[in-house]
Amino acid sequence: MSTSSWWEGTRLVAARSLSDGARSRTMRITTLILLLIGMAVVFLPRVLGGDQPTYTLATVGPVSPAVQTQLDAAGQAAGFGVEYLGAADTQAVEFAVREGDATVGLADTIMYVRSDAPGAFPVMVAQAVVAQESAGLMLEAGLTAEQIGRLASIPPPDQVEVGPVEDEGRAAVGFVVGIILYMGIMFSGQMIAMNVGMEKSTRIAEVLLAVLRPSQILVGNVIGIGIQTLVQLLVLAVPIVVALTVADGGLDLPSVAAGDIGLGVAWFMIGYVVYAFLFASTAALVDKITEVGSAIMPVTIVLVLTYVGAVVLVPMDPNSPLSITMSMFPLTAPMAMPIRWAAGVVPVWQLLLSMGLAIATAALLARFGSRVYQRALVVTGRRLKLREVLPERT
Amino acid sequence: MLQVRGISHAFGEREVLDGVSFDVPAGVLTGLLGPNGAGKTTLMRIMFGVLDPQAGETRWQGQPVTSAALRRWGYMPQERGLYPAMPAGDQLVYLARLHGVDKDAATRSARDLMEELGLADRWSERPDKLSGGMAQRLQLAAALVHGPEVIVLDEPFAGLDPVAVDELSSTLADRVRSGMTVLFSSHQLDLVQDLCESIVMLNDGRTVLEGRVADLRASSGRRQLRLTLTGSGRGWLTAFPSVTIVEDRVDDLRLDIPPGTDPLAVLDAARTAGHVSDFGLDQPTLSQLFMSAVGDLAVVS
Repeated sequence: MSTSSWWEGTRLVAARSLSDGARSRTMRITTLILLLIGMAVVFLPRVLGGDQPTYTLATVGPVSPAVQTQLDAAGQAAGFGVEYLGAADTQAVEFAVREGDATVGLADTIMYVRSDAPGAFPVMVAQAVVAQESAGLMLEAGLTAEQIGRLASIPPPDQVEVGPVEDEGRAAVGFVVGIILYMGIMFSGQMIAMNVGMEKSTRIAEVLLAVLRPSQILVGNVIGIGIQTLVQLLVLAVPIVVALTVADGGLDLPSVAAGDIGLGVAWFMIGYVVYAFLFASTAALVDKITEVGSAIMPVTIVLVLTYVGAVVLVPMDPNSPLSITMSMFPLTAPMAMPIRWAAGVVPVWQLLLSMGLAIATAALLARFGSRVYQRALVVTGRRLKLREVLPERT
Repeated sequence: MLQVRGISHAFGEREVLDGVSFDVPAGVLTGLLGPNGAGKTTLMRIMFGVLDPQAGETRWQGQPVTSAALRRWGYMPQERGLYPAMPAGDQLVYLARLHGVDKDAATRSARDLMEELGLADRWSERPDKLSGGMAQRLQLAAALVHGPEVIVLDEPFAGLDPVAVDELSSTLADRVRSGMTVLFSSHQLDLVQDLCESIVMLNDGRTVLEGRVADLRASSGRRQLRLTLTGSGRGWLTAFPSVTIVEDRVDDLRLDIPPGTDPLAVLDAARTAGHVSDFGLDQPTLSQLFMSAVGDLAVVS
């Protein structure tokens, strides 16, 4: 069979399984739900006022206008709100800070700061006070108000964060990518299994095998359902990505997240293909479609354990020998590697090696799956055991 | 001419087919018969390359069957064989395209066939919502939609009511007349003995009978004598030790007359013994031929 006619048959199988999915009501409802989730991620934080923090400054009597002006301007620039609390005396200021009614308290020359106050705000309050004091001194020294204003408007150097890459925001992205990968692979794998079980139990498989090679049926189904699941993932991701790229999207994701999300999509495709052939070949063992769930159980268990291992063990120590092994072994890599990668500790060669190994495994599994599939499809009337249809060693 | 040559196959230790050979000429409706477990389905799967035989081959027009030739064959597996949720018309178009027919021709052919089989208004219907008879016709359409030269049907008559059996057999007879090569399997020997012209009978993976139905039934030399007889016991039969009773119900008697015994002599003896109000001479049925071919060990369902 020539490559072009191989592709032609495979394309027809893929298109059929894709249109089957488009017709399915379950499919449409899940897609709608995913779209709603994607939009909720973008819009809910705004509706709920976002995570713009508000800090409170307590002072004895009303706050001085100069301090207020400077703090409000800083809040506007850095994206936080400032509220002011006028207290009766020094004790009341201290009390308000201790009770949590205020983030920072000012009384005479003392600044009260809660021990868990966010670092930036007390610094800004202190700067505002210092600026006010220095303005007074400069006025006494004979500078004009205009000169003082120019001094105050000297911009500080631009700030670039250079801390270690292992930051929590990225780890959180890795965690979310992990969940989505897991759900995507599990969901699409089960869909493939149902498809194979249906084709076998309705004996359509025999009609197909008379004109197609097992590899065409298998690869066609894997492509069709893969596209379908990818479309669903895009439906979920598009609102988030749009919000990220549009300025002032209101989403507070780390800047590296876009790359991590892209890598997540790549890993979804690799992981999907690795598991899809496992799901398909085990589902070919059934006699009735109701047996599909129990036939694919071993694959499901491996997938669940992989996921749990990836989200529990890898973040604890992304560089432990176990984490490294998990991110390299082809069955666990699709979930362990994106999480390790998001933690920011993976050299690029490890990423590429792990991807290469997983892709090679997927190709081997496609060959192995086609053999199992062909042998299993023609034995009807009872459920088969895997070893009955394992290709013999030659 | 479709030729099956020396096909053998075993599943592990269990031998399913043992050197099966026969011919299916074009224009002759041919039945592949035998009890359940005789190896019919396995043989059909081998013919379509779904299974690889351990020995033997299938030839079409004198050549070994290639995958290109298989695209011009149609196969209807036992029961179902349709996507339950895919609209009937789309399903036919899809199957035709898998056999290499382009989209427009596939759509035209699907419409014509659905029209011919009385499914014209069912294009968008899901097969699992069709009645049994309609689903069967759709399945036949699925095997025919790419205009095959050869069509092989596994147990097409199983579970059909007499009207549906009639419809299906006349559709098949039409195709055979137009030159198509048609082979179908059945375990209901007596149901199909009037439907097919030629048969191949399998038992335990071996060919036990092969030929035109009329020739096989006539050449066996056996006859059955049917009598409606009153006023006599069965004592007169002792004069014919080789004659056996096939059926004995009150007044109706059916006797098996082996070659070498004159059925008319038996009739005369019956008339002497009592009053014969009706009689007839029949050729043996296919299941009787099968029984005598394989001995009493075989069980015919």
